[in-house]
Amino acid sequence: MLHASHNDRRLLRPAPSTGSIMRWVIVATLPGLATMTFFFGLGVVSNVLLAAAFGLGFEALILRLRKRSLHPLNDSSALLTGVLLGASLPPASPWWLIGVGMLAAIVVAKQLYGGLGHNPFNPAMVGYALLLVSFPTYMTLWSPPQPLWPEGLWGQITGSASLAQIDGLSGATPLDAFKHKGAGVSAGDFWAGQPLPEGTLNAWRWVAVAWLAGGVLLLAKRLISWHIPVAMLGSMMVMATLLHGFEADRFASPWLHLFTGATLFGAFFIATDPVSAATSQRGKLIYAAGIGVLIMVIRTWGGYPDAVAFAVLLMNLGVPLLDLYTAPRPAGRPPAPAKERS
Amino acid sequence: MARTFEFHGGVYPPERKQRSLVPVRHATLPSHVVLSLDQHAGRPARAIVAVGDRVSVGTPIARRDGMISADLHASISGTVTHSDALAITVEGDGHDTWQRLPPLDWRSVDTEPLLARLEQSGVVGLGGAGFPTHIKARLGEQQRIDTLVVNAAECEPYITADDLTLQGFAGDVLDGAQLIASLCDARQIVVGIEDNKPEAIQALEHAMATSQPLPVTLSVIATRYPSGGERQLIKALLDRDVPHQGLPADVGVLCHNPGTLLAALRAVRDGEPLVERLVTLTGDALADPGNRWVRIGTPIATLLEEAGLQRATLDQLIEGGPMMGTSLADTDGVIRKATNCLIAATRQELPPSPPESPCIRCGACEDVCPAHLLPQQLHWYARAKDDDKLAHYRLFDCIECNACSYVCPSHIPLVTDYRSAKTRLRHQRLEAAKAEHAKHRFEWRQARLAREEAQKQARRQARLAKQTSGQPTGAQSTSPQADLRSLRIAQTAAKAAVRKAEKNLARAAQQDPGESHEDLETQLATAQENLRAADAHLADARNASAPQETR
Ligand code: SF4
Ligand code: SF4
Repeated sequence: MLHASHNDRRLLRPAPSTGSIMRWVIVATLPGLATMTFFFGLGVVSNVLLAAAFGLGFEALILRLRKRSLHPLNDSSALLTGVLLGASLPPASPWWLIGVGMLAAIVVAKQLYGGLGHNPFNPAMVGYALLLVSFPTYMTLWSPPQPLWPEGLWGQITGSASLAQIDGLSGATPLDAFKHKGAGVSAGDFWAGQPLPEGTLNAWRWVAVAWLAGGVLLLAKRLISWHIPVAMLGSMMVMATLLHGFEADRFASPWLHLFTGATLFGAFFIATDPVSAATSQRGKLIYAAGIGVLIMVIRTWGGYPDAVAFAVLLMNLGVPLLDLYTAPRPAGRPPAPAKERS
Repeated sequence: MARTFEFHGGVYPPERKQRSLVPVRHATLPSHVVLSLDQHAGRPARAIVAVGDRVSVGTPIARRDGMISADLHASISGTVTHSDALAITVEGDGHDTWQRLPPLDWRSVDTEPLLARLEQSGVVGLGGAGFPTHIKARLGEQQRIDTLVVNAAECEPYITADDLTLQGFAGDVLDGAQLIASLCDARQIVVGIEDNKPEAIQALEHAMATSQPLPVTLSVIATRYPSGGERQLIKALLDRDVPHQGLPADVGVLCHNPGTLLAALRAVRDGEPLVERLVTLTGDALADPGNRWVRIGTPIATLLEEAGLQRATLDQLIEGGPMMGTSLADTDGVIRKATNCLIAATRQELPPSPPESPCIRCGACEDVCPAHLLPQQLHWYARAKDDDKLAHYRLFDCIECNACSYVCPSHIPLVTDYRSAKTRLRHQRLEAAKAEHAKHRFEWRQARLAREEAQKQARRQARLAKQTSGQPTGAQSTSPQADLRSLRIAQTAAKAAVRKAEKNLARAAQQDPGESHEDLETQLATAQENLRAADAHLADARNASAPQETR
């Protein structure tokens, strides 16, 4: 006899689930993470593991407090947020720093807004931005290339190493160094002076290429559409080329912008977070182009060396408006009057 | 082969048509049939038989009520054993005696008798909505129709009824298309079919080789759901966009599916009313799937038993296709004019949906939406019951094709949400218009009284005119000529009002065949009463003035 009730929804073929999408994104981070680990040591792995564990822990805690079932943990979104924040932090960040960051990401940015799908801001970037504002010293210390098991790793993770000790181990990122080279120094002189510890630029380049490879996997698996990475990288490149062409000594080359910092990681893994991005294709293009421009503005004129987090968060703010004004034109309809209703 | 175009979005569900692609058979004559009075768009028909009446196959048993409605005929011969407000039951006598109308040659007969024949034969669209075919054919009177599209896309998985109709009767389907095209003055016929039906395409090519009064084009389009949606098909075949809240007729197109055209031809050529249709019986819970010619009103249970139903594995029964069909609560129903397919599915073939998770705004739904909507926004605002936003994101443009829910990784029952939001909003509109509707009903009653009065007066006048022929009567005014003229003008205006009311109703009913259009039917009835009253006034005035005029 009929077993399914009248209202039971049956599917011809269930679409791949949200959880499996999240897990595929995590898989796509592996090349980037592996390359980072290769150049910067196991501090990268400890970051990611700690952040992921905090992510799951906080999510479970909140679900319990909200008296919900733990079923949503299956969607792996907290895990992914952990992986992304862990990948963004300086290697071997102390556990409490990661904890604070994940608290902001999962509890404040995500669950307080109602959980997955309801968060207007990218959770990982909320965590990152909060840490950057609150603990700038820790956040701007980025070590030069390291052996796999760097000296003092354990001390750094457990937080027993003093700031001065850590400082001694760290150097500036290429973008940071270029920015603070001083107005009188020409770009050529700056690079000729070997401003960075040996291998630094090379390491950043390889890491960027690895993130790009992960991004290509995302595109190939149709987990993201091309709109966001293309628009974001495109607007950055256009702006960087113009500035660099205008005054090469003052403005870093487009290549430096593309292959250092969090540019490629951000374009494929951060800006593409579907929940906090614009929805329509036109909206996505504007959203991502805006991120690219903001990154360039903040990197060039702002007080922070890198800018992906702030740029993404600022554009997250504009998403509701973008969504409203870029709704696609339904078939057979003249363009909607933009001020129809709001 | 004709050039084709692309419509936006669409998905590629598994086709699963193979199992029912076996030779067509006739289902065993059922021992009884239950004929629902409400198996077409618009108002239910009114029964015209009583319990105990003997009927043959094709005996009219219910007449249309109002404009959007359809006649109903006995589909087996026997005795009426039950009749209520919903349905008529006929117990069969096993003889299968037919009552046909005289055959008509559509090539030589005028439009009006042909339209009347379609109406008397209860022909309605067999593709789903059950819209009366003669009303659709009349659209040509109001709007210029240049193209008749034969919608043979049959894009839903599982269903093969149109495919096999074409394989068996391509020539008749084309004749039916010529018939309908000539009724609405179309200049060409375009057959749209998906490329997964090679045998039907071959049959069509073969049939097209014989002489065709109007040019016929065969357009083979890529298989992609929902290419059989009217708007999508018109876009794909003709590159025309049906305007929002418009009808295909607004871009000069009329769409019919092959089954309807075959039924129309049979009604005219053979004098056979619509008493039988082709139904796809399929699904893994059937041992003997295939397409059957089934009498309307046949109980679903007997039909499925005959096709080897395995009740132990039957998990879900779907009427229509798996994307847009409805799941039935039991096997107690009957075949209706619009039933094109029954899927007796096992749990393996149509597994239950995984639990819903939150929308992650991945945009997969947007990419596949053939109506260019933002399903994720609609979902959000449907749940929030934000009616303004639902209007902004054009909830009512959704064709409920389910492409969005098919791809949603969060397994959200999107269309279920949209349907309930639509129902809620329709209900609100109806509530808001209640006073207006009451006013229309009041106007109709007034118009009826006025018409009765006018007719009474006209009859009296006619009698009087006969009695006192030659004598001027006292009732008439001083200037009968002027009076007659103004009455004639009034009559013309009343006629125009009827036409307008008909047009409004036909449009609304086509746009929303599933909805009730009571208010528009009332308005039409009022206009008709007014016209009859105007006729009576005119007759009255003519009678009164005739003696004088002849003097
Ligand atoms: S496909 Fe589902 S999860 Fe993705 S945006 Fe649409 S409704 Fe949301
Ligand atoms: S059901 Fe509606 S919203 Fe969903 S894809 Fe079809 S037309 Fe678009």
